[in-house]
Formats: sequence, C-alpha cells, structure tokens
Amino acid sequence: MRTLNNVLSDLAHAIVHGHETPPDAQAVYPNYRVTTAMTVYRNNYRGNLHDTLACVYPVTEQLVGKDFFRMMTRQFIGQHFSCSGNLHHYGAEMAAFIAGFTPAQGLAYLPDVVALEWACHCAYFAPDAATLDINKLSRIPPGHYPDLILLIHPACHVVRSRYPITAIWHAHQPNAPGEFHIDLDSGPCIALASRMNDVIHVSELAEADAAWLLSIQAGTPLGTATDATQKQYPDFDLQAALINLASKNVLTDFNLGAAP
Amino acid sequence: MNNRHILSAAIGTLLALGLASGNVNAADKKMEMEKCFGIAKAGKNDCSSNKSAHSCAGQATKNNDPMDFVAVPKGTCDKIAGGSLAGSM
Repeated sequence: MRTLNNVLSDLAHAIVHGHETPPDAQAVYPNYRVTTAMTVYRNNYRGNLHDTLACVYPVTEQLVGKDFFRMMTRQFIGQHFSCSGNLHHYGAEMAAFIAGFTPAQGLAYLPDVVALEWACHCAYFAPDAATLDINKLSRIPPGHYPDLILLIHPACHVVRSRYPITAIWHAHQPNAPGEFHIDLDSGPCIALASRMNDVIHVSELAEADAAWLLSIQAGTPLGTATDATQKQYPDFDLQAALINLASKNVLTDFNLGAAP
Repeated sequence: MNNRHILSAAIGTLLALGLASGNVNAADKKMEMEKCFGIAKAGKNDCSSNKSAHSCAGQATKNNDPMDFVAVPKGTCDKIAGGSLAGSM
C-alpha cells in the first residue's frame, strides 16, 4: 500500500514536472476534468513563484520588462523548486541562474543587480538588532578603544560589482524620476544594503571603508582592523567611516573582546 | 601612538554627535508597529499585492506564460549607456 507521503510526492511531481497524475489523486469533479484541475494547480504554483520573484526582484523586472522577466522566471522555476515552507527563502539562486541564462547575456551587469536585490531582500527579513548605545560607548575608557569588537547589524550586506549597480538600483525605485542616464563604464561599485525603520537603504561604500567593514564584520578588534586598513589604504578616514556606518544603523553594539 | 589618537578622535566625534541613540529610538516604535502587520515587505502588504506570498486565488487555467520568442529584454535596460543589447541584437 502506498503511503500518503508517496501520493503527495507523486502529486507534487505531476504539478511541477507535468508528469501524469497519480491514480490515487484522480478524483471525479463535477465540472472539469482531472487534467484541467492539474493545470490550475500548476499555474497556481508557477504563478505564485513568479509573483514571489517579482516581489524580490522589482528592479530586475523593470530592467528586462515584464514579458522577458516572466519568461526568465518560468525557466528558473522549472529548475529551482520551492524547498521551504517560507516563500521568502525562494529565489536565492537567481543571480547565478541569470549569469548563465543565454538570452540575458547582453546585460552583463544584470547578475550583480540581481545579487544586490537578493541582498536587499535578505536585509529586509534579517533579525532585528539593538541600535548602538552611545551612552554605553561613552563609558569605555579611550585606552580600550583598540580592543573594541564592533558588532554589525545582521541586515548589513555588501555587494561588489564592476558596474554601477547602486545607481541602477536607485534609478528604479518607486520615487525615482523616470529619466536617468547611467554609464556602465563609470567604474566598479561596492553597494551596501542596510536597514533602518524597516526600510532598506542602498548606498555606496569606498574601497577602504568596505575593507574595514569586512574586517570588523569578521570580528577583528577595532585597533587591528583600522591599522590593517590604513596600511592598505593610507587615505582611510576612520572618523568618516564610523559616522557614516553609525548613521546607517550598521553598528549595533560592541564588546571588549578578550581585553581585561 | 598614532593609531590610538585616530581611534580616540573618531569615537570622540561619534559620541559628540550622539548619532545612534537619539534618532533611532523613535524609529524603534515605528518598527514595532510595522512588524505587527506581519511579514510582508513595506508597500507590499496590501491584500492585492501580497498575494505573491499567500495566494490561493486561482491563476488562469490557461497557461499565460509567454512563448519562447520573448527572448529579448524590453525594459529600461536600453536606457543604460554601454549596457548594450548589442550582444543579443
């Protein structure tokens, strides 16, 4: 005897892959045939995943147009199944998929824009974190500053590109003016996604600031991270970086690590 | 020591500006409220658009996916200089 699990698995395969409907799932409907019912299931499945991807990747959809986006997501959906009960987890592989998607090859920057949109999506659903407590920081004796381990907000994501993805992202936000002029050859870009008041912000980071942030994010004490960054980037301005990142809610807390 | 001086100056400025706490506490309250409405993205949490996440509304029984000939991007990409559709045209 087949288990319910097997029946459901076969039914899922019939929906997703267009296989024949398993006999156990064949029922008699008064108004339509089983194949019609399966088509409704299949279109719901695909339609929901398409809408999910359109929610995650609104800039991408604008860049390529709705028809192309639908065609592209249809292929993606055929190759990538929804494996989580939480639809917000769906679509992570889109950047890699598009990088190998022949009809989109003319848009060299597209995979990076897609990666930035996924970063924004993850930033939106990242856990909440405390905001930096200035009073607590003011109680730290300056002699201990080099030992400070700064904690970075879980919504903070950095995406690097050879293309101006930050400008592209901003040009496609709901309040952006319709006209824009973006030169793809304007040089590489390091995009920072951060979250404040449940709103995602995308800004651009200087190379030195990004290097410093990466080091801090890895748990390096402030003194060591700053030293290393300054060695590599003599122009690095810690004060400007700290103020910039604190104002974007990227710094949430700190501790004194192994220091006494 | 040079490094120490830079750290003191930088954190000193941060403290002087009082950056973090002041302006974000008000934000916390707003956040609590927004979170109550659940998991939908801002601007996406009205009934119509959040169907993306929760729909059981029937899609058309007809397959409305475009044919494979929709193989050329036709969005704002042609406004990006150097962003060439050249490869595909």
